[in-house]
This record gives sequence, C-alpha cells and structure tokens, in this order.
Amino acid sequence: MNLLALVKIEWLKIKKYPAFWWMFGIVALTYPGTNMMFYYGYSEGTKGKEVASNVAKMLLGNPFAFPETWHTVAFLSSVFIMIPAILVIMLVTNEYNYKTHRQNIIDGWSRGQFVTSKLFDVVIISMVSTVLYTAVAFGFGAWADYDNIGRWAEQLQYIPLFFLQTFAQLTIAFLLGFLIKKAFIALGIFFFYNLILENIAVGYAKFKLNDIGKFLPFEISDRIIPSPAFMSRFGKDMKEAYEKALDAIPMHIALTLLLTGAIWAFCYWKHKRRDL
Amino acid sequence: MQEVLNINGISKSYGPIKALQNVSFQVPKGAVFGLLGPNGSGKTTLLSIVLDILKADSGSFAWFGHPGSPATRKQIGSLLETPNFYHYLSATDNLKITQAISGRGDAASIDTALKIVKLYERKNSKFSTYSLGMKQRLAIGAALLGNPDVLLFDEPTNGLDPVGIAEIRELIRELANQGKTIIMASHLLDEVEKVCTHVAIMKRGNLLTAGPVDEVLANEDIVELGSQDLNALEGILQQYQGITQIKTTDHQSLQAFFPVGTASMEAINKHCFEQGVVLNQLTLKKKSLETKFFELTND
Repeated sequence: MNLLALVKIEWLKIKKYPAFWWMFGIVALTYPGTNMMFYYGYSEGTKGKEVASNVAKMLLGNPFAFPETWHTVAFLSSVFIMIPAILVIMLVTNEYNYKTHRQNIIDGWSRGQFVTSKLFDVVIISMVSTVLYTAVAFGFGAWADYDNIGRWAEQLQYIPLFFLQTFAQLTIAFLLGFLIKKAFIALGIFFFYNLILENIAVGYAKFKLNDIGKFLPFEISDRIIPSPAFMSRFGKDMKEAYEKALDAIPMHIALTLLLTGAIWAFCYWKHKRRDL
Repeated sequence: MQEVLNINGISKSYGPIKALQNVSFQVPKGAVFGLLGPNGSGKTTLLSIVLDILKADSGSFAWFGHPGSPATRKQIGSLLETPNFYHYLSATDNLKITQAISGRGDAASIDTALKIVKLYERKNSKFSTYSLGMKQRLAIGAALLGNPDVLLFDEPTNGLDPVGIAEIRELIRELANQGKTIIMASHLLDEVEKVCTHVAIMKRGNLLTAGPVDEVLANEDIVELGSQDLNALEGILQQYQGITQIKTTDHQSLQAFFPVGTASMEAINKHCFEQGVVLNQLTLKKKSLETKFFELTND
C-alpha cells in the first residue's frame, strides 16, 4: 500500500473526529489570543510620550514586526503544545478503545503500516499547528509594523523549527498514549510531566547541576526556539545568555532529531513484537 | 483437497497459563469449519494468532500454502471477538476504511454488504448509535465486503436476537453453497451442528479432535430398539455379536452401541424376530454434537 493511501485513510479517521475540529478551533483562538495579550502589553508599555515609554521602545524594538514576529510568535505559541497533544493522545488511545488497532491489522495492514499511519497523524497535526502559527505570525508582522513588511522573508527558519519542535513534543505525547493505552492516564502523565515536573527539574539543574536539564525530553526541543530576541536587551548577562541559546540551536536540532527518531524506531520495534 | 488454512503445532502461554498447547489441524477449501470449545478453551486465541493479532510462542500456520502476511489477511473476511469500529463514524465511513485497508470491493460493494446485513437504511448513522445486534451485523457486513472466498467468524451470532441468529445461520449456509470456506468459532453447538461440514473441539488449550463432522460424531453406531418386553429384548441382544454396550434410555427403548459402520438393521431385526421378540422401534441414530461435546470436554 502506498503512503498516499495510508494518509487518505488517516485523514478519513481524523476529519470526522469532532475533537480534531475542537482542537483546530481552540488552537486557532489560542495562538492569536496569547500573542495578542503580549502585543497589547507591549503597546501599552510603549505608547506614551514619556521617557520610560521611549526607553522601553528602544530596548524592545517591536517583537511583533517582521522579521522578529517569526521568532516571538513561535516562542509564545509553542507554550500551548498541550492542546494538539490531547488530540494526538486521543487518536492513538481511541484505536485501543475501539479495538481498531486490531481490526486494521485483521483487515490487512502490517503492524509497521499501523505505526506509520499514526506517524502521519502526528505529522498532520503538527502541520496544521504550523500552518496556524505561520498565519498568525504573518498577520502580526503585517499588522504590528507595516513599514517592515519588506523584511518578511528574514528568519523564516522559525517555520521549520516550529514544525520540528511541535512534531518532537507531539511524538512524546504519542509515545505515552501508545504505551499506556488509556487516554486519561496518558494525558495526566503528559500534563504533570510537561507542565510541572520537567520545568522544576530544568530550573533546579540550571543552578545546581550544570544545566544538565537541557537533555530532558521536552527541554531538548524547547531550546530550538529560545526566548524572543528582546529578552537579550536587558543587560550584558541576558545578551550573553541569548547568544549562547542561539549558538546551542544546531545541537538541539540534532538532539531533537535523534530523540524523535529513537522514539519512532522504538514504537515500530515494539509494535512488531507485542500482542495486540 | 487443497487446504485454506494449515495450523501446525501452535502453542501460546500467558505467564503460567497455557492458552494453546501444540494445536494442529487443517481447514480444507470449501469447508464450513466449526471450532468448538467451552469458554476459555483457546478458540479466540488461536484465531487471533492466525490473524497476526497475537504472536505464537511456537508453531506455525499457513494461509493458502503461504505463511500469514498482510496480503493473505486481505483475502479473508474476518470478525474476531467483537465488532471493532470507529464509534464516531457512520457504517458507510467505517466500511470505507475496511475497504481501503483490505482492498476488497469498491464503493458499490459497501452498499451491497450493508444490504445483506440489513443495515442499509441506517448506513449514515454513527456506529455509537447502533444496538448490540446491529454492531454485530455491521461486523459481519465488513467481513462480507468485496465477497471474499474465505470468511472467519468468531461467535458470529453474539448479541443477535433469535430472528437475527436464524438469518445469520441461513446466510452462512448460503455462503457455503457458493463454495466459500468458512471458519467459525462458537460455543453454540446446535448452530455448528446445523451448518458445519468439519469440526474441531478444543478444551483448555488442547485440541481434542478435528475432522469432518460425520467422522467426529460417528465413532460408534447407536441403534435404538423398542419392544413390549424390554427385559426380553435386552436378554437376546446380549447374545448378539458385535454389540459393545447396551443402555436403557427411557424405559421404552434400549440403545445398542456398535463399532462404527458395523450395525446392520436387517440383521438385528431378523435376530430379534427369530428369538421371538417383535420390535416396535428400530433406528440408527447419529450421536448429537452436544453428546459428543460433553463426552469430550467433561472431566
């Protein structure tokens, strides 16, 4: 069976799944909503005529103007990975719940094709998230400072980086659903680890353990989109930290590819051997 | 005769529990093959292995002379254990997925399958709104999609009402008449007895017997005899050569057991008459599957 046929089958499963459209709607509101909140904060802080406002404006620049918008919007939007993650976990645990993970094999898929079909689910959802991010970032760029529109093509690398980060983190969500099989337990672990545990661990490691937390599963890909550029303008230390973060991006891209590849390889290996 | 399925020494354990122990048998082409056994005897485990849902610890199987593969599974319409469908999709969309994965049939054959299982009117309703019986019928419809030559049904009449059961039985007969090979696991003995040409009986993971129904059931000739004086009848039967056992059934008749193929009605009748006992009943009975089943599976 060719890959296109596989994608078509997955798309049939996804497009009629109400949770997909809920996710699409929520992401479509959350990405612009969050960025809007920050943009509003930025406008309020810089619109005055007084010295403080002008200083702030000079310091920050406009993080939502081209080309900075690609970076700023990617960073702020990526915080909401949990919304597509819910969908990814639901799509894989549904298969267990409905026992269609068996039926698909009975009907003639190989076990490898089943995992590939799920890989496409994660790719499709990552692409939808990336398209939404791209639209929002472009919208802000055009709207926040129209004078800079000529620079729209700079820093476009944040589009593939956003895709890679989303795909990598949704892969971890997939792995949890794939192994745990129960939606609520997988979601619980994902949220607890992603939102709380790893953040504490990374924070602790930064001060006590020589920043070893950068090798934790989400942190590996978190660091391919560092904090927005304006964060570097608050003194020498911040500037150094920002430059260091930028320098580390290639290593984190490599680590992300490695971890993500390893997770998928494990899923193929596991699924070919286990009882369904 | 060409074999559709050849099972060779399959064993499977779940921890200390031996679900299957060295099970081997063949399913000939065109057979309606009943797989019988009490709950927990390993029927579904065995069918799951030949459909690549479970991995056998040892042993092998072949479909159409080839090791099991996606290509062989596509040729088999299967219903394993429960109807497995996407709850939020309609019957038509679910069968579109079956069709796309298996490559069996086309868009028109989806309607045909739904008509056969009487779900055509509800084809656009979501699976989650179906009753248990309708879900089961959809699973049978999915197996029938594209008119495959081999069908595998695990408890096909589960959840169906008496009319539904009769309809499925009729459908299986019809399919058998078309020359299809049907493998059917069931614990409903009369269901199997009414439609099957071959049978395998399992218990606690062991295969007790397998073969054509007539051979499995008729390992003895049972002759039922009646007369006015049963005591006298029993007396003269004891002198008759070839009887292995005599049983009183209901105070109106006796059962005489002969090795298979050796009971001659004429000879018995003649013997009794010559000995002065007139028979008012003389029948050669086939052992019921139920009797055989209990005989084999009871400890």
